[in-house]
Amino acid sequence: MPLQLGVAPFGLVFGVLGIASGLTPLQTIMLSSIVFGGASQVVFVQLWGALVPPTVVGASVSVINLRHALYSASIAPYLRHLPLRWRIPLAYLLTDEAYAVTIHRLRNEPHSPYQHYHLLGTGMTLWVCWQITTITGVLFGATIPQSWSLGFAIPLTFIALVAPVLRRRADLVACLTAGVISIVGQPLPWKSWIIFAAIGGIAAGYLTHRLAGRRDAT
Amino acid sequence: MIWMVMITCGLLTFATRFVMFSDIAPRQLPDWLRDALGFVPIAVLTAIIVPAVIIAPEGGLAIAGNARLPAAIMAVTVALVTRSVLATIATGLATLWCLEWLVY
Repeated sequence: MPLQLGVAPFGLVFGVLGIASGLTPLQTIMLSSIVFGGASQVVFVQLWGALVPPTVVGASVSVINLRHALYSASIAPYLRHLPLRWRIPLAYLLTDEAYAVTIHRLRNEPHSPYQHYHLLGTGMTLWVCWQITTITGVLFGATIPQSWSLGFAIPLTFIALVAPVLRRRADLVACLTAGVISIVGQPLPWKSWIIFAAIGGIAAGYLTHRLAGRRDAT
Repeated sequence: MIWMVMITCGLLTFATRFVMFSDIAPRQLPDWLRDALGFVPIAVLTAIIVPAVIIAPEGGLAIAGNARLPAAIMAVTVALVTRSVLATIATGLATLWCLEWLVY
């Protein structure tokens, strides 16, 4: 499945990055199962490696994570009837990739009592792939020459996720605002530009959306 | 210390994924919150992408002679056309390697 192949380079690069940021192999590998979220893990190791205070690390990871609340909300109507023993593992497995595949399936296929198995299957496959590639990155990271610039696979992965969803003008405004703040804010301490750029982008996008909506309504 | 922070971040991540699955969550998010959250993926990921592309390793803007910039532009184009993560990564890395080998 192309989906699993898509996370493979990311997992590998994360494994390499974890070690390069000063985490031990065990910490890097465990982060992949404790957090199980590519963007959050990358930000975690980059900030931790830069000796950012733990509270700022937590705040940055929380901001990055906000998008999961959106996934959670959009998928909840299909899952809320399930017992907790289902909802807890399904929530744990709800990554960007799993969400993208599952929501497409849930919306386009007729209702079935077993539809949550699809999220479980997708999520578990991604989980296994993520763990294997993280471990591979940790083990072989040192043998990959720096000149291959494999770390660049991380922004490239995010480009693949962001570019196709930039449809409305408000999306572009959110993107540009976040981009500009992330550059202008570079001198800020503790890499806190991540938090400011994210919040600034969200606010700019939302305001544009509101203004556009008002204009359409009149 | 790092373990405490790792576990806290893990719990925070789980909590944001579980929040709307819980029994006490409202059936639906208020419209304004849903609209605002809709911009989170774009804003958050762009905030990670842009500095990774145009900030030099030693700090400061890197425009001229920065192979990551054209590589990222190629990647955006491929992402828009193919919507494939693998094709985007492959094109971006290939462009980067070619440029570094040929030009810079």
